[in-house]
Amino acid sequence: MAVQESAAQLSMTLKVQEYPTLKVPYETLNKRFRAAQKNIDRETSHVTMVVAELEKTLSGCPAVDSVVSLLDGVVEKLSVLKRKAVESIQAEDESAKLCKRRIEHLKEHSSDQPAAASVWKRKRMDRMMVEHLLRCGYYNTAVKLARQSGIEDLVNIEMFLTAKEVEESLERRETATCLAWCHDNKSRLRKMKTCKKALQPSRREPAGRGAPGHGHAGLPARHAHLPVQAPESGVRLHRLPWFFLLLTLCILSDLLDPARWRMLIQQFRYDNYRLHQLGNNSVFTLTLQAGLSAIKTPQCYKEDGSSKSPDCPVCSRSLNKLAQPLPMAHCANSRLVCKISGDVMNENNPPMMLPNGYVYGYNSLLSIRQDDKVVCPRTKEVFHFSQAEKVYIM
Amino acid sequence: MEQCACVERELDKVLQKFLTYGQHCERSLEELLHYVGQLRAELASAALQGTPLSATLSLVMSQCCRKIKDTVQKLASDHKDIHSSVSRVGKAIDRALSLLLRQNFDSEICGVVSDAVWDAREQQQQILQMAIVEHLYQQGMLSVAEELCQESTLNVDLDFKQPFLELNRILEALHEQDLGPALEWAVSHRQRLLELNSSLEFKLHRLHFIRLLAGGPAKQLEALSYARHFQPFARLHQREIQVMMGSLVYLRLGLEKSPYCHLLDSSHWAEICETFTRDACSLLGLSVESPLSVSFASGCVALPVLMNIKAVIEQRQCTGVWNHKDELPIEIELGMKCWYHSVFACPILRQQTSDSNPPIKLICGHVISRDALNKLINGGKLKCPYCPMEQNPADGKRIIF
Repeated sequence: MAVQESAAQLSMTLKVQEYPTLKVPYETLNKRFRAAQKNIDRETSHVTMVVAELEKTLSGCPAVDSVVSLLDGVVEKLSVLKRKAVESIQAEDESAKLCKRRIEHLKEHSSDQPAAASVWKRKRMDRMMVEHLLRCGYYNTAVKLARQSGIEDLVNIEMFLTAKEVEESLERRETATCLAWCHDNKSRLRKMKTCKKALQPSRREPAGRGAPGHGHAGLPARHAHLPVQAPESGVRLHRLPWFFLLLTLCILSDLLDPARWRMLIQQFRYDNYRLHQLGNNSVFTLTLQAGLSAIKTPQCYKEDGSSKSPDCPVCSRSLNKLAQPLPMAHCANSRLVCKISGDVMNENNPPMMLPNGYVYGYNSLLSIRQDDKVVCPRTKEVFHFSQAEKVYIM
Repeated sequence: MEQCACVERELDKVLQKFLTYGQHCERSLEELLHYVGQLRAELASAALQGTPLSATLSLVMSQCCRKIKDTVQKLASDHKDIHSSVSRVGKAIDRALSLLLRQNFDSEICGVVSDAVWDAREQQQQILQMAIVEHLYQQGMLSVAEELCQESTLNVDLDFKQPFLELNRILEALHEQDLGPALEWAVSHRQRLLELNSSLEFKLHRLHFIRLLAGGPAKQLEALSYARHFQPFARLHQREIQVMMGSLVYLRLGLEKSPYCHLLDSSHWAEICETFTRDACSLLGLSVESPLSVSFASGCVALPVLMNIKAVIEQRQCTGVWNHKDELPIEIELGMKCWYHSVFACPILRQQTSDSNPPIKLICGHVISRDALNKLINGGKLKCPYCPMEQNPADGKRIIF
């Protein structure tokens, strides 16, 4: 591999890149745990209720028949409890096992065998690319790549596919899926103090007011309209103010221009990322930007293209355009590379200057020497081999 | 990694707890159901006989009720107890992995450059997609590349795709131990392969020969006649040919039991794929690793370094230090293989040279930047800082690396 990465460097990079890899399945585990607890609590209370009724009946002098039928009720509720409990625990266990699989994969970065380490690196790039493709909306490609690379377990495809469904339904101006998503994640959304439905107050205002900013920066005033706590009740949905307002939104949907829906989609996307503690840009993009900067030199962008190197990634067609707005690499120490051979010029291959000012490695000049003459590859001028002067680089 | 190990430990604890809880839950509920079932049977028979509820049965029933209530309530609270273990996992993850990348949704905290540098222009996104497609073709993931082209409505010229399609076809054949397409290719590119000093053709013939040998004495005649293909390589690969001819002696005995058993090693097949890929890429003027792979790998090295320095800059509140967005604030060590271009940093001013400030060779052979040279001029004369040789500033010659 061209780039050397020591085990210590791999660990450092892991710390910076892999938060989503572990956090997203952990949040799923958390969610399933809470759901399991709710299920168990609910079924337990049903059982307790039925048993209380039975106890009450027993305290009077009951007919055996009524006791039997009440007992049947108890048996039924207990069976339901058992079934729900088993299902819930299975779901939790599954999430925990997924977390474990990912951690085990991450551990492989420090494997002793070089083959295993390079496989891990290749998978790392594939994983980041899959996440990037999912963010761009190329779901089929992402799934195909994940399958081909054998990393389906290690990427957060589920999360993005769920988001895709919500976004697509919003594009069709349907709110049901989005509402279901909100309900599903309401505890975490509440914690985030989302102003997701902050559009509502503005529906009576002229369309221009709602500045479609990124994130929540452009909508501070709207926070005040939203209560952070929604009252708990058996029929929760009707109490949630934003649902109610959104319902009004549905009714008035014909009156809203497409821009509002697009804003809603954007807002959903940002909220979804924040919910899972992801950034707005893919890790892939950020890594690539850093990498291109670290390789970029002024010579990749010389007007006449004379100093392009066939091996340099930044000199390649697409990446050259991509890297244009990025900063250059910082080099505190000289490093010289012979234009003919691509070899390093140092004490073993000293740099030699031809009379026209162009510098090549001594070994390369030897190899292109013919009849004691050399032809400068860049200007085609012919010189005597002896005219090459050694230069000293400190 | 130490912290990953910590997360794993917590996860293992949680998994263990789920396991024991699940078993316990199922078992105790089973027992309860069984017990209640028995009681119900007794009651049912009492109902049939028309007897009223006896006092003992009534007592047993109330005990049963209490037991049910206790069991299910304990189940609920036992599950609740697992919560602390689950949240410990989350905390371990937060400790182990860096906060820096998490917080970037607010602004360019983590952005080496502004986050919006590529988003702002739709075109840049298209170019990025193109780069990914090119990478996928080079990696041999043709179906994925096709899918991406379709989804992103990109058009890739056929001339770009063509060589990769061919290479992939040959590689797939090689993976199935079919040497035909590869040999065809090697023969048609013989001249250029020789220029590269590649021994691909010979290796392909050798593999075929070895495969014939593995067929046992029945294939002896075929093997011998195939050996004629080695003739053009006699000069360069004499030793290897001798080894193979020597192995014929053991044909009847079976090659596996002979000193030549290493010829049957399956690693040769993996090796031939690699050799083929390397030589084919050289011929096509491509590096084996796609430019995207190299850039990504270099980014993996650069990212933590840049984040650290950004954190340090912010902590020390000297944001003014890195305000010119045209150069990174710190050097990134990528290894010598990543030195694609010459970079000359003036040893005196410690700055990279550029077109406006080129490197100048002094008469003594030492090289400094023009700005440094100008700074060293003293009364129309110049003293080289390394060897105290006096010279004329005009004698300095501009050099180009």
